[in-house]
Amino acid sequence: MANTETALKEASTSIEGVIGAALVDYTSGMALGTLGGSKDLDLSVAAAGNTDVVRAKLRTMEMLGLKDEIEDILISLGSQYHLIRLIKGRNNNGLFLYVALDKGRANLAMARHQLKRIEASLEV
Amino acid sequence: MTTTHAGTEVTAHEVVAAGSPMLTRLADERATGAFLRAQGILYLAEGRIVHAESPSAPGLEVLLTVGGALPAQGWQEALTRAGARHEVGRDLVGSGRVSAGELELCHLGALFDAAFFVLGPASGPTHFRYGVTHWFGQVHPVPVAAVEREARRRRALLDSVWPCADVDTAPVVPRTPASDQTVTGRQRALLRLADGVRTPTAIAWALGRPTFHTLVEIRRMAAAGLVEPPRARVPAAARTVPGPLDCDEPNIALLRRLRDALEESL
Repeated sequence: MANTETALKEASTSIEGVIGAALVDYTSGMALGTLGGSKDLDLSVAAAGNTDVVRAKLRTMEMLGLKDEIEDILISLGSQYHLIRLIKGRNNNGLFLYVALDKGRANLAMARHQLKRIEASLEV
Repeated sequence: MTTTHAGTEVTAHEVVAAGSPMLTRLADERATGAFLRAQGILYLAEGRIVHAESPSAPGLEVLLTVGGALPAQGWQEALTRAGARHEVGRDLVGSGRVSAGELELCHLGALFDAAFFVLGPASGPTHFRYGVTHWFGQVHPVPVAAVEREARRRRALLDSVWPCADVDTAPVVPRTPASDQTVTGRQRALLRLADGVRTPTAIAWALGRPTFHTLVEIRRMAAAGLVEPPRARVPAAARTVPGPLDCDEPNIALLRRLRDALEESL
């Protein structure tokens, strides 16, 4: 029985090193919910921009004829990890969870595992 | 205007696109009621937007039932049981028909979609009826400023994809994709319903998806040449193209740009 806010809160408490998190609709590019962020990381800009990342990968998969689904996308910066997890709801709403992590404190395997759990708890 | 009570109505004539001084004032005074325009209605509770409806956007019931989250009968039952108490949303979750997360996201989707049209270029007067509440009940109130900001962002996004708004309202006519063109799954679902009669709004209804989402895809497909631009559909005889003799002074700059572009692409 989680809603957007509690799911994002859970992401920030259960995942080590979270800088910011957002639940994003990738057709409109709108963040349906955000948590954290700072003047260095504007989450609504990150939300809109990362929709292009997701769409580009989906299009590439169509071009390659890959009949598979994206589970998550990892972008690794010098000091941060940006993790995108696509949400496979029964409505196929076209949503993804976006989490920016501090590379020094984050455990990538644990973060991916937790995001999967949070996706399930969203029940969308 | 702090002494206003239920039933009072104020009217303004506004022509501002995606921003309304009247709405900002209502938010500041934490007003409750219905903000009515020809393009739809925004419901406010204590200055925040709790619900939005527009004839251009499929309502929550369409998104939930056509989208597949809820059988139509389930919606009707919740309406009968909880409509009078203004608690339909709570009933849908309480009876286990829809999860809280699903309802919240669907409701937000419908709210921002309808608000985009309500806050679009205004035609006719704007009314505000104090004290009116919506029968669905509150799910996730959103600040007025956030809704206005999102409406502006959406308008800008559409124009950056394809600047001609005429594809938004014209019937969608698909073109055969070139051999090297990719059509995404979502676009295919949309094109299957494009029969040359349905407009983007009608397609949104049939798919149970927000209209804005359909408009973005249609504009992307217009930019990619996957749908026919409405202007090209005007019969040749009706077009007023100047003949070569009408053109006394050819636009040299334009011709040069065209030549450059052609050379670039060869």
